[in-house]
Amino acid sequence: MTEGLSREIFGNLDGGSRAVFYLLAFVSCAVFLWGIWRRVRLWRRGRPDNESINWRRACHNIRTRVLAQRSLRGSRPRASCAHRMLFWGFLALLIGTILVGIEHYGAAMAGKEAVSPLFHKGLYFVIYEITMEIFGLLLVGGAAWFVGRRFRADSSMEHRAADWLVIFSLVVLGVTGYLIEGLRIIRENTPLPGISFVGYGCSKVFAFGGVDQSNVSSIHFGLWWFHSIVAFGFIAALPFCRLAHAVAGVLSLAASPRPLGHMEPVTMAEVEETGEVGVGRLEQFERRDLLRLDACVSCGRCEDLCPAHEAGKPLSPRDLVQDLRGYMEAVSPGALHGETIGAETLWACTTCNSCADICPLGVRPVDYITDLRRHLISEGELRGAPAMSLQKMQRAGNPWGLPAQDRLAWADGLKVPTVQDNPGFDVLYWVGCSAAYDRRVMKVARAVAQLLQRAQVSFAVLGPEERCSGESARRMGDEFLFQELATANIHTFGKYGVKKIITHCPHCLNSLRQDYPQFDGHYEVMHHTQFLGELVAAGKLKAAAGMNGTVTYHDPCYLARVNDIAEAPRQLLPASMNEMPRHGCHAGCCGAGGGRMWFDDPVQERIGTNRITEALDTGAKTVAVSCPFCLTMMSDGLAAKDAGVQVCDIAELMAEEQSNQP
Amino acid sequence: MKILVPCKRVPDPDQKLRLNAEATDVDSTALTYILNPFDAIAVEEALCIRETTHPDAEIIAVSVAPAEGEDDLRTALAMGADRALLVEHDAQLDSWNVARLLAAVVEREQPALVIMGKQAVDDDANQTGQFLAVQLGWSQATFASQVEFTETGLRVHRETDLGIEIIHVSLPAVVTADLRLNEPRYASLPSILKAKKKPTEYTTAEELGVKPEPRVRLLSMELVHSQRNCEMVTSARELILKLRETEVIKG
Repeated sequence: MTEGLSREIFGNLDGGSRAVFYLLAFVSCAVFLWGIWRRVRLWRRGRPDNESINWRRACHNIRTRVLAQRSLRGSRPRASCAHRMLFWGFLALLIGTILVGIEHYGAAMAGKEAVSPLFHKGLYFVIYEITMEIFGLLLVGGAAWFVGRRFRADSSMEHRAADWLVIFSLVVLGVTGYLIEGLRIIRENTPLPGISFVGYGCSKVFAFGGVDQSNVSSIHFGLWWFHSIVAFGFIAALPFCRLAHAVAGVLSLAASPRPLGHMEPVTMAEVEETGEVGVGRLEQFERRDLLRLDACVSCGRCEDLCPAHEAGKPLSPRDLVQDLRGYMEAVSPGALHGETIGAETLWACTTCNSCADICPLGVRPVDYITDLRRHLISEGELRGAPAMSLQKMQRAGNPWGLPAQDRLAWADGLKVPTVQDNPGFDVLYWVGCSAAYDRRVMKVARAVAQLLQRAQVSFAVLGPEERCSGESARRMGDEFLFQELATANIHTFGKYGVKKIITHCPHCLNSLRQDYPQFDGHYEVMHHTQFLGELVAAGKLKAAAGMNGTVTYHDPCYLARVNDIAEAPRQLLPASMNEMPRHGCHAGCCGAGGGRMWFDDPVQERIGTNRITEALDTGAKTVAVSCPFCLTMMSDGLAAKDAGVQVCDIAELMAEEQSNQP
Repeated sequence: MKILVPCKRVPDPDQKLRLNAEATDVDSTALTYILNPFDAIAVEEALCIRETTHPDAEIIAVSVAPAEGEDDLRTALAMGADRALLVEHDAQLDSWNVARLLAAVVEREQPALVIMGKQAVDDDANQTGQFLAVQLGWSQATFASQVEFTETGLRVHRETDLGIEIIHVSLPAVVTADLRLNEPRYASLPSILKAKKKPTEYTTAEELGVKPEPRVRLLSMELVHSQRNCEMVTSARELILKLRETEVIKG
């Protein structure tokens, strides 16, 4: 029954129209390619990429992140849904159009008449029509939702005329497509028109409005041309507006965005050659970083989540990327630092990685920030308390500048073995500077050590031989201070044959896991909550699951988001815990990462103030944490509110639990 | 214009000090040294002058120290000083004699301005700047918290116990930096390495034609043992009673 089903391609169009159509198609494609080439030239101003393209990964990324749209997640579910509809609709119609093209040229090459198609007929035609009808609806529905959102004047997005035009033209293309189909059904009297159900509906409306065989051709002709011209305009405009993300975004996602928390090392040889560190000029970004500037559509998901922006600091990751993009395309852009990107913007970042995590297009605002910070550091553009902390790390190996001999003060009376006392240790307990010198955090280390002793783990600490991991120095942009500290630590690890490390500090954890291997330091690194979880599973310790009172848990950025460790800490806490609205990899930042720990902010200007409120709103009497910085920030914030809520590391809660139930 | 910035190396104040066996000096083994923080402020001020009003200024860091003092001069170079001069001297010197050596350097370099820390954080003497101005017969502006150039010299805000005193001094002058003059910039490792390429000159008291004549003789040193007992009080009343009890306040 499907025999004889088809439609005539270029039906109702004479030879002259076709010639004009091809001419316009050529012009619009040429403009498109020229536009892309202009962008490519901008991207090529950057220095060559460090990594070469991994095609397998690229194919995987395109399949999952682009085609399956999996990088749209985490926030704005309705916009994500609308984008998926629009994208899949657009993609299907694009493929459909290409298939029609293949059919058309194939038939021409096979010497067939337009009315006797190669494959665009029969059952194939039925499936094709139904599919196109459905995906067309997705396109129009998605685009219409976006138009509707623009009418609601959401302040989170930009409202340039071009943005309006782009989204509106998609609706117009979809709708006129259906209308033309309806007119075609009337004109050609297409058999079985119900398979093109939307177009069929349109044809009924047209018929009701008085369109019949006598006048349909001219209306069809006019609308067909309108549709075509809008389509050509759309193709030509693509590289010049937000739609450029369709190209740059795909390339960005294909080029495997760096893992969260990963930083590219700089070698001293490079610095000796160029005399410069980090990015002082646009050309010092890698090409893929510049490409990613064009991937940004300014959607503002990053800004929604940015803790510095939330606290009123002069940083919006979206604006930063858009400012860099504007700088990239400006004819005489002026200075990158100071004029385009202010130092106070760069220093506001906690490197919490929310922006990089949420970006559906693989843009990494935090990476631009750390690259730009490296330049500030090398130019001496850091002063005051944070500069002092770096100086002290440089001088004494810890941010407080205190003597290395005091590194074991926390263990007073605990008989904690050093690497000399227990050379055959199984695991090294990396204590970190906070627990070595901050009186409050010392109690965390004491709790961890006591738990390890109770579970009879053969462990050791480095004691006076431990140095700052260099994590915050690196994230502040002081690459060579980091490298000096890392090299010293790696040397010490080598000296004592360290293979497995546990630490209660997610910042040290991330550095040991992701930074140290770049300098030949390869270890198995576990967070204490993971290790303690294993001990609980082995029946050697009890979890704090039975603790009294209500508890909530604040996820550290570098644990949950950057290193994907959100379950292990929860396993140690009561299942009935009050979760905060933002938890797991979506947790809000306490404000201390990226070296912000060393900035002297007045309490009311601190980043993370909302996080304190969020914790209080759960009604929990205990805020459990698993990071020394979070512990300090949450304790300070809650003390300022006089809330009567205690902040404890999970290890402390566990240690208490052991003594409660002997 | 030349600006001379005398820089002293001092033991890192965060480290624990011990005395040598004879109790005549701090035990320098295992002690780390830093550039006196007040002198770092002076270097920063010189750099600010060059960056704002006097782009042609040449900044010379000078130190009177043993050979290791070069490290701390390198900090000044890394911050941005143009060149350094080390007057190598191993023995302890009192402030008067340090000022004499600096005066000899001033004679040689002919700077228009000497900016230095108001005091060094090791002995906290707060004398060298004043002595130097006297020996040179120059104007002096001590404890500066703000320095501005005027047509005839400098307008300096001085931090005194009674408040800010604003004075005008003619050049050449010696200015000593107080804590609030500025926040020194951070010298990162690459800039410290780059600073190795900047010229450092070495000289001695002898070459400068100065024979140190000690005016102060250090007899002995002793560590102050500060025993702190912390106690929490619950009210202001209790605090006052405690203070009376321990005779911190009377009546």
